[in-house]
Amino acid sequence: MRSWLSIGLLNAVILAILLLSAYRKQDKIRYFQSQTIPLKPDTIQAFVSQFKDDAGNDTLFQVRSKEGYPVSYFRKIKTSVCFDNKCRLLDIVLYWNVTGRYLGYELPEGEFLSKTEHEPFKPAEYARLNDLLADPFSPLANYSYEELVPKADLAASGLDAVSSATSKNVLDYVVEGAVYTTYKMWHFVYGAAQKEVIKLTEKRLSPGFLLQVLESQDSSDKIWALNHIRGQVELTPALRNTVLSFIDNNRFNLAERAINALSPTELKSDSLQKMLFEKYPKANYSLKNLIVTKYKEAPHLHSSVKTALANALKLANGELLTNILDLFKQHRVSDRETGRIIADLLQSDNNFLAQKAFIYLKSANIDDQRVTEQLNAYKTKHHL
Amino acid sequence: MEKIKRRSALTSLGALSFGMAVPTLSKGERLRAPYKLVQQTLKTDILVIGGGTAGVVAAIQAARAGRKTMLVENGSQLGGTTTTGGVNYPGIFFAWGKQVIGGIGWEMVQEAVALNDDTLPDFSIPHGKNHPRHQVRLNGQLYAMLIEEKAVAAGVQIRFYETPTSATFQKGSWTVQTVGKGTSTQIICNQLIDCTGNAYAASLAGFPLLRESVTQPGTLMFRLEGYDFKSLDLKLIKGRYEEAIQKGELVKTDFRNNIVGLLKSAGDNIQHVMGADSTTSETHTVANLKGRSSLLTTLRFLRTLPGCEKIRLADVQNETAVRETYRIDGHYKITHEDYVTGKVFDDAVSYSYYPIDVHDENGVIPDHLKEGVVPTVPLRALVPKNSRNFLVAGRMVSSDRLANSALRVQASCMGMGQAAGAAAVLANLQNKTPLDVSMKDLRKMIEEHGGIVPVSAQKG
Ligand SMILES: Cc1cc2nc3c(=O)[nH]c(=O)nc-3n(C[C@H](O)[C@H](O)[C@H](O)COP(=O)(O)OP(=O)(O)OC[C@H]3O[C@@H](n4cnc5c(N)ncnc54)[C@H](O)[C@@H]3O)c2cc1C
Repeated sequence: MRSWLSIGLLNAVILAILLLSAYRKQDKIRYFQSQTIPLKPDTIQAFVSQFKDDAGNDTLFQVRSKEGYPVSYFRKIKTSVCFDNKCRLLDIVLYWNVTGRYLGYELPEGEFLSKTEHEPFKPAEYARLNDLLADPFSPLANYSYEELVPKADLAASGLDAVSSATSKNVLDYVVEGAVYTTYKMWHFVYGAAQKEVIKLTEKRLSPGFLLQVLESQDSSDKIWALNHIRGQVELTPALRNTVLSFIDNNRFNLAERAINALSPTELKSDSLQKMLFEKYPKANYSLKNLIVTKYKEAPHLHSSVKTALANALKLANGELLTNILDLFKQHRVSDRETGRIIADLLQSDNNFLAQKAFIYLKSANIDDQRVTEQLNAYKTKHHL
Repeated sequence: MEKIKRRSALTSLGALSFGMAVPTLSKGERLRAPYKLVQQTLKTDILVIGGGTAGVVAAIQAARAGRKTMLVENGSQLGGTTTTGGVNYPGIFFAWGKQVIGGIGWEMVQEAVALNDDTLPDFSIPHGKNHPRHQVRLNGQLYAMLIEEKAVAAGVQIRFYETPTSATFQKGSWTVQTVGKGTSTQIICNQLIDCTGNAYAASLAGFPLLRESVTQPGTLMFRLEGYDFKSLDLKLIKGRYEEAIQKGELVKTDFRNNIVGLLKSAGDNIQHVMGADSTTSETHTVANLKGRSSLLTTLRFLRTLPGCEKIRLADVQNETAVRETYRIDGHYKITHEDYVTGKVFDDAVSYSYYPIDVHDENGVIPDHLKEGVVPTVPLRALVPKNSRNFLVAGRMVSSDRLANSALRVQASCMGMGQAAGAAAVLANLQNKTPLDVSMKDLRKMIEEHGGIVPVSAQKG
């Protein structure tokens, strides 16, 4: 069982004053990524979890804006970095943004980082550390502690060089001379605390907050926000407009997630159905198919969308044609106008299209003389 | 009861009176004459040989364009290296933030992702070291079923367990003789597409092929479980591995001389089967036997290591996946220079995007393309010299070795498959050989089916 402790308001305010003033402290060593979500810090809440790591404490601080939106998180780390039976203290504060991305680090006053021979970090090395920690895909994720530094005895063993090559590769992902420090910090950033950050943000989702996250310059923040809409917050008009604005040929992932964010309940709305369809004409083939498939989730199909898609059938092929017919089947489309468009496909030179049309019409029961005649002609031609 | 007894008594009497050769039949059994192999002749517009990564796409494209299409596959399912080979992470569909491979391949991949509740990778992350993250992880078996469903729905006539034995071109059509389990079939078609990965139909047709003196190793894909990599004593394990190699108990090249890599990857794309070749039953048998026996030997060894005593084989593929065998000698051979400079050919029919990726016994160090470069595939590279009504798609595309090491990847194969399918359709409809089809028509057909044709290929 996880135990959450929310520190009392007074404590929080005191902490806030202390920590927010730290933001302004120039004499501390602090390196940050750019803050991509335009939210201003106001208060701080402390949460205690059971991280089961050796960071020295289990408190995670959530910085909040005036509106109560999460702004960022930090955790104070006091641990030892050990190798060759020697240990050094690592005293540092790590920061995350609201989606769990690494934001930066800060050393307590007077503290500095040092390398193997107790040589202090140079500014370029602090900056490099900041960049290395910002890489969520760093291979450090899969290295074990033991792999980090080449063992001289193995290099001399006569085996060819995979082992030393691996260690050479490690150098691309660590600050030279501070291999274990980089490794340990990277694992703190992407370990249990990161999961807690996300959980805590998930507890404070709201349309207004997600709108702010969607303004981030970082595409993974945006994707995170798009993934947290469906079934989790109400799709207010402002949020709906922003979500739809992501349906754009040049940003496939965002477009795909934006379409995914629309839930069946919201698709009840005729206006949403129409607004979504406004994206269709300019959408590329992949997105057109995603949009058509989306309407399968709607409880009904708005007539203007249906008519437009019926007309699109005249030029559709392969996947798109199949998807539109599947959609019509799902919504039991059987009006005469649509029926006639589909029946015209029976005469196509392309057997695949004609057959698809036949399969549809066979079960659609369209009450129209012309459709019936075309259907009968098809059956006769194909001895059905 | 009495009746039954009487009847069975009569049956055995009858059997006796006809002599000992007639067996006693149990209830429901019938005596049948021995199965006869019947030679049959079938006709189709387009015949695709090989239902793998590229072949399925080619066949679906041809069938959806309304042509009668047959697909001959010697295995038991579609998908080839993506499914049976276990390399279920096709790449790469997006280059520099833009989609470069779409159409039927992308449709199949996306549907498999959706049906498995997987998520697509974020294609906006930079290439370079993150290039494997641009590949889409699939449930391979689900993918095999989905693409089969799509092929059937498109009207493709699938013939599993069958292989061609000859291919001859006469008076504008190909006659392909195939044999299968209990089948001997002559298939007459107008256009033939070889998607075997080994240029096998091209070789039967008599077109010269290209091959390297040393080909890249193959790989049997498998998955290990039952150990915690991060808590292993790697120094000790490396020592034990080295000892076993020196004693001749293990073969250095089987796992790239990299025991740590094997344990870390848990079997994903780490084994090497030197010289693996899937062209004939005999060579593929050798590759499978080698792959399995080295895996078993290594598994037994792993279980003697501290921390690995409970290592298990969670999964293993049915065959060794093969990287490289034969390529065609086409009307155009794509060069390394073409590839790394992103040359856009006048007859470009699809894009390709991947680092140069030649594997040797130690593994691979991918050579990434420069920012903005997206190579293309000309139609001429899909057509063997001196051929008519014949196309190829997939890893046997006409190319030099370095270009091929990148062209061979799955999204590129899918793009080529769609282009070859469309070219075959137009050639069939217009009674031409594929190289005589107009680029304008070809572009139109590919794009109507969602495929992406490189932009400056405008010539008619
Ligand atoms: C171990 C390994 C790792 C790889 N890693 C990646 C990767 O990370 N990403 C990536 O995109 N690509 C990767 N590739 C490359 C890629 O998977 C292949 O190059 C590609 O799938 C080849 O597609 P293809 O259609 O040409 O051949 P295949 O997919 O192999 O299809 C050929 C088909 O033809 C059939 N066939 C063969 N001979 C006959 C015959 N005589 N008669 C009938 N049918 C026949 C086969 O059974 C098979 O179904 C990897 C390949 C290997 C082997």
